[in-house]
Amino acid sequence: MFRKSSGSFLLSLAFAAIALPALAADYQTNLGPMPLDDETKLVIAGRGEATASSDGKTMTVKGSFHGLLSNATEAHIFVSPICGVPGKSIFNLDITKSTSGTIAGTFKLTSAQAAALRTGKLYIQINSEKAPEVYPWGPKGNLWGWLFPAHETVGANVPQQDHWFIPQLDTPCAKKFEDADNA
Amino acid sequence: MPNKTILLLGAAVALGAAALAPMALGQGASGPFTQAQVASGRQAFDANCAPCHLQDLAGTNDAPALAGTPFMGAWGKRTTAQLYSKIATTMPLGQGGSLSEAQYTDIVAYILNRNGAHAGTTAFTPTSAVQIDTIANGRAPAAGAAVAQNSTRQESPAPSGQAPAQSNFARAMAGQRVSDPGAFGLPNRFGLSLEGNIQNYVPVTEAMMVNPPDSDWLMFRRNYQGWSYSPLKQINAQNVGSLQLKWMWSMPENGTMEITPIVHNGVMFVWGTGNTVQALNAGTGELLWENRLGPAPRRPGPGPSTEETRSLGLWGNNVYVNTPYGYLYALDARTGKEVWKTHITDELKIPGGNGNMFGGSTGGVIIIKGRVLVGMTNCGRNGDDNHCYISAYDAATGKRDWKFITTALTGQPGGDSWGKLPDNMRKGAETWIAGTYDPELNTTYWGTAQAKPWRRDLRGSGDGATNYANSTLALDPETGKMKWWYQHAPGESLDLDEVFERVLIDHGDQKTVMTIGKPGILWKLDRVTGKFIAAVPTVFNNVYENFDQKTGKVVYRKDIHDQKVDQWLSSCPGPEGGHDWQATSYHQPSDALIIPLSQSCVFMLGNGSQTYFEMPGTDGNMGRLSAYRTADLKPLWSFQQRAPFLTGVVSTAGNVAFVGDFDRVFRAVDTSNGKTLWKTRLGTTVQGYPVSFSVDGKQYIAVTTGLGGGSPQAKPGTMLREVHRPPNGYALFVFGLPDDK
Repeated sequence: MFRKSSGSFLLSLAFAAIALPALAADYQTNLGPMPLDDETKLVIAGRGEATASSDGKTMTVKGSFHGLLSNATEAHIFVSPICGVPGKSIFNLDITKSTSGTIAGTFKLTSAQAAALRTGKLYIQINSEKAPEVYPWGPKGNLWGWLFPAHETVGANVPQQDHWFIPQLDTPCAKKFEDADNA
Repeated sequence: MPNKTILLLGAAVALGAAALAPMALGQGASGPFTQAQVASGRQAFDANCAPCHLQDLAGTNDAPALAGTPFMGAWGKRTTAQLYSKIATTMPLGQGGSLSEAQYTDIVAYILNRNGAHAGTTAFTPTSAVQIDTIANGRAPAAGAAVAQNSTRQESPAPSGQAPAQSNFARAMAGQRVSDPGAFGLPNRFGLSLEGNIQNYVPVTEAMMVNPPDSDWLMFRRNYQGWSYSPLKQINAQNVGSLQLKWMWSMPENGTMEITPIVHNGVMFVWGTGNTVQALNAGTGELLWENRLGPAPRRPGPGPSTEETRSLGLWGNNVYVNTPYGYLYALDARTGKEVWKTHITDELKIPGGNGNMFGGSTGGVIIIKGRVLVGMTNCGRNGDDNHCYISAYDAATGKRDWKFITTALTGQPGGDSWGKLPDNMRKGAETWIAGTYDPELNTTYWGTAQAKPWRRDLRGSGDGATNYANSTLALDPETGKMKWWYQHAPGESLDLDEVFERVLIDHGDQKTVMTIGKPGILWKLDRVTGKFIAAVPTVFNNVYENFDQKTGKVVYRKDIHDQKVDQWLSSCPGPEGGHDWQATSYHQPSDALIIPLSQSCVFMLGNGSQTYFEMPGTDGNMGRLSAYRTADLKPLWSFQQRAPFLTGVVSTAGNVAFVGDFDRVFRAVDTSNGKTLWKTRLGTTVQGYPVSFSVDGKQYIAVTTGLGGGSPQAKPGTMLREVHRPPNGYALFVFGLPDDK
């Protein structure tokens, strides 16, 4: 864990009510086109948003997407070995098989999966027809987004005073690398 | 003529020595290409790829090695068709698809051949798909070297007076596709093209450097402390909205430009690509003199990060210029005439480097007590006795005073931090950003880059910290003797430099040096002792399993520690860095350090393949500008946007700060809250270091537009598909208030 200096600790406590869920909490993510290189950027585009709510035993995910360059084919919840590193699929989401639409699903969580949600290790991945089915190496997909505890966001070019959301400071973001199979 | 066969084989062996045994499978197998393709592929490679990847395919900085273990690790399990697709769609950098299909297939054939694949009788086509490690082993065959021996090719940079043989114009006239037909104007005449006669030039003194006149911008970050802060306040938060263009000056196209205009007594000195140095009337934009030092960029179009410099220096009646190929010039500031010229490494050639000189210099200079201090880059190759260093030269004569090697050698303090590596394998720790200086402590502060190779598994240093890489160095500017060092990222392994600006800030009796590197950690050290004071992460970082804000100690993730060249690895930030060369500004009135930040992540396979993804929690915004109070590292304000910032920041006593971005926007923000007060859109990416100065009582803001460079250009170039920029437009813009204000 990142250890906070005493100066920022009180600030963090003030923020904790929003960003540090216990068991019942809401989560959010913005879905963006990933992974990108000069080949995949020709077939990968779009954006989306999703939220998740959980009582610690079940999780309900809802979201929408738009702007894909080809029809969506499937959507999954993945678990990361740590915050921000791609991992393995654990749940299938219902998805509109079009270039825009919605995703949804409700799932029972194991205790490990619930912990993964709380520690920023769950993310959504949407695949599409043109996104590489078998990427030469590494993870594939069309849109990704990591689920983090609900936090204040502002639009582009809008200044936010004082605190800025940084996952490893504001959430119990997992940083010790663990095999995703544990979840 | 030296035996090139031996030289090339030597280079290839050096690159691949560690992994030859496992690669025996492919040795002797014939590849799906012909010898004729290899021969013409060599020429196409030298013309289009070698400027970044080097002629021996060893790679530089952002351009990965295309031979040996690094290449085989990244590409061995993929097919020749995938290699073709990668190269044809992405190369030359920023100009993917600009070569003919035949050129791309020949280049692939040449690369395969240089990695041990033998030519056969079947010509390579874009769809020829063979797993690469079944035909190549990472070791150049004698046949490949023979091709090299027989081919005619240009050594090192084009010598002064000669432009590269094949310009885009010539290629276009020959019916080839050219991606940037507007940028074929490589200069072909060098020397003093306009001699100046500046009257009443005021020599720059030590006293001026310690206390710069308000009207001037005498050095890289304006003052010795590296603040990038101007005490001018005619332009302020209330009137900046009426800012207007006063004059504009087109700069040499092609290559890479990230320069700082330097202003003294109404004269502006600026460096352009091809090492074109110009003096301009800072109030009117009139050219006063021009000296084209040369050589021209190695190829048309935007260049790599190794072909630039970031700042000039002034002292006495001279202007000082360090060039990418390691030369240091003194020019007469009044006429532009050369006063003296020297080479940082005495024109030492890289053993096995095909004539390339050992060491370049891109970071600008700092002048202290009559000495010109300069750092090095591109000096990190294994297998010879050379090392990167900081060196100092007599400003009057160019004679070298001292040099300080930035890697700890056997027997030196920290010399036991390289595992069992002999001294000739301790490379890197480049200094590609000029240092700062505390006159009271008579100490100069420099940041260093990571050890090379930057991957731990290729470097062979085990768990060693690799001092003095990724450190802050405190040196005596008169002797080069080290006073202390502090290593921010021991054993770094992800191309995450801690090399950027060292900003000197006092809080009462506490004298601090602050810096932020690619990992995005903002550091505060005691600049008297080098002791850690505090640090705070500014962006999402999952590189460190543990970062202790009380001690500054970092612990890398286990999978990073255990990385292997043939397995992909992910990091946030990626090589674009949470912070890069786009320097901070210290706004003294509010004690705010205003920091350009970048937000992207990477997957790396070896160091040869990179794929990017948005930094989690950023909603796809790659750029962020944040202000932190330096007394307690408290965040004051932030805003983010899709395009990353590609300039440093300048702030002023008028409580405004200026910054430019990848998507051509140059803006002024309120230093108290980050609100945008004024913005305009320029011709291409706003890139460089903006400055503020005054002439005849009128305050101006100057900034450059330009292209080229490393990760800060390449990553958004891939990730921001909606941003379209012209491939030219290198220029200098000067803004001021309307004349009646």
